[in-house]
Amino acid sequence: MVGYGLCEKRLNSIYPCSSFHILLSLIAGIFFGFIVSVIACLLTATSFTEFIDVIRSPEIFSSIILSLETSFVVVLLALFFGVPSAYFLATRRFRGSSILDTLIDLPIVSPPLVCGLAILIAFGGQGIFRHFEVLFTIKGIIIAQLFVASPFLIRSARTAFESINPDTIKAARTLGASEFYTFRKISLPLARNGIISGVVMTWARALGEFGATAMVAGCIPYRTETMTIGIYMHAMSGDLGASVALSLLLMFSAFTTLIVFKYFGRYNDPSG
Amino acid sequence: MIRLDEVCKSFGENDVLRSLNLNAKNGEMLVLLGPSGCGKTTTLSIIAGLEKEDRGDIYVDGARINNVPPEKRDIGFVFQNYALFPHLSVFENVRFGLKARGIDNKNRVKEALETVGLDGFDNMNPMKLSGGEQQRVALARAIVTDPRCILMDEPLSSLDAIARERLRYEMKRLQKEIGVTSIYVTHDQVEAMILGDRVAVLNKGTVEEVGIPEKIFYKPESEFVARFVGMKNIFDGKVVSLDRDEGVMGVSTENFDLTAVFMPLGEGDRVKACIRPEEIILMKSNQGTSARNLISGKIINIFPNGHLMRVLVDVHGDEMSVDVTRLAVHNLELKSGDDVHLTFKACSVHVIL
Repeated sequence: MVGYGLCEKRLNSIYPCSSFHILLSLIAGIFFGFIVSVIACLLTATSFTEFIDVIRSPEIFSSIILSLETSFVVVLLALFFGVPSAYFLATRRFRGSSILDTLIDLPIVSPPLVCGLAILIAFGGQGIFRHFEVLFTIKGIIIAQLFVASPFLIRSARTAFESINPDTIKAARTLGASEFYTFRKISLPLARNGIISGVVMTWARALGEFGATAMVAGCIPYRTETMTIGIYMHAMSGDLGASVALSLLLMFSAFTTLIVFKYFGRYNDPSG
Repeated sequence: MIRLDEVCKSFGENDVLRSLNLNAKNGEMLVLLGPSGCGKTTTLSIIAGLEKEDRGDIYVDGARINNVPPEKRDIGFVFQNYALFPHLSVFENVRFGLKARGIDNKNRVKEALETVGLDGFDNMNPMKLSGGEQQRVALARAIVTDPRCILMDEPLSSLDAIARERLRYEMKRLQKEIGVTSIYVTHDQVEAMILGDRVAVLNKGTVEEVGIPEKIFYKPESEFVARFVGMKNIFDGKVVSLDRDEGVMGVSTENFDLTAVFMPLGEGDRVKACIRPEEIILMKSNQGTSARNLISGKIINIFPNGHLMRVLVDVHGDEMSVDVTRLAVHNLELKSGDDVHLTFKACSVHVIL
């Protein structure tokens, strides 16, 4: 694939002016132009002083802290449950493993609102988890975010575990390493970059989660108002300044996420 | 000593090992030779505990190890693709097995690296080394824990020809130096011949024949082994005369007669006569020969066969392959259609019952 792409590139620098080339540039130009102008609109919707003022207001500040707290806890929980689950899926073949596999990916594909509703029912008055009392609390936010975001970590870590040369694992075992020792000293370090990209994706997803969180935790200012919920509430009540400031922060974190993700994604294979 | 007793293994419908019996003696290098898919690698995996046998028993030094996990078997394994730990330095790769056992002896790591000729490579990234060097690291890693035996799965087949040849002799020297019981899997006959104290030829999941290399390559007992080790010329025939005093016997095939070394057989016994292509001398005209066998024929085809040339000769309706040097083809001006004479000694005719 890479080789083919490079070849195309080289050919294009030799024959830069085909009509197909012009058509491609035109279509791509329109599309990229559209995206860049929308983002630029958001950037120019506020001034620096307004931005600082908004962020220092107690309600907005508390929503930022809440988002950071919950997403941090979600990442920790996702690591604790996700990495072993990923390793389990990557190394075990059993009846129904492909069904389980699909099930884990379901929250990635299905609308967060639907996930939120499911959690609402499970933890609600008639649900099997009703004794946990998480609805409309911070715990609810964490559960909603974990549910929607952790599959990203599982998926990424699993791919990383699967891409390890199985002979490396076998070699470790014949050298006297137990399965756990091999997991700690070989599998985990070799899957490190995959796990890091998974963490970053999970964190970004948790931070940006809206639908499920809103369903489970509601929109209670100072208590369950995360950044995304804040954006929605303030935009709906006409306070666009607050929404824009929060959006810019989220946009910035998304941008950072992508850069980190690309870096570790590209160097996923430590063997180079 | 490693012993496999009636070991069976199948993957789904595919029976890979069918009641395999195998015995590697203390300190010897036993080579498992066979075509791909004959179960060589599966055999090694089962000995190492990386695959579970369906039936049968595995013994190391007399103890049954069927249910011992790989990390407790104390058996070294060298993989075709080296299987080094890419995130660890050369030194840490070799040290891994000691650390896993709770031993931290840096001197042993140093010694192992010196043994394989890699002193000074300690801090290098193994992925940056050449294939030959990587396999040396893998060897050092396997011997550093002083295992009861070492299994090697085509360790040289990913290397280029020059590195392969160099490492081949070194592995033989190393194995003798350490004196560790080894099982070495390959499909390369030259490797088997050079490395093996004994060679076991595998076919369809069972051992066809075990013996010293000379026996396997020049006096095989079965037609499969004869064909596998490159005896191109195999003819069905029967014993027609026996001369104990001269030490020869006559074997008649469908289209010609041969003289072979005497064996205690009866007249009329069905046999197969095998002649290695390189043991036949090809002449343009009949210049007389002391060899017992002389057959005339006509060249069908000449084609390159490694650094020799293979001449395909029609001998009264059968085909015989003869290996000659390039120079001989040139000097004798050999070409298709030429009438030639083939001659070979009685002792070059190997008879299989």
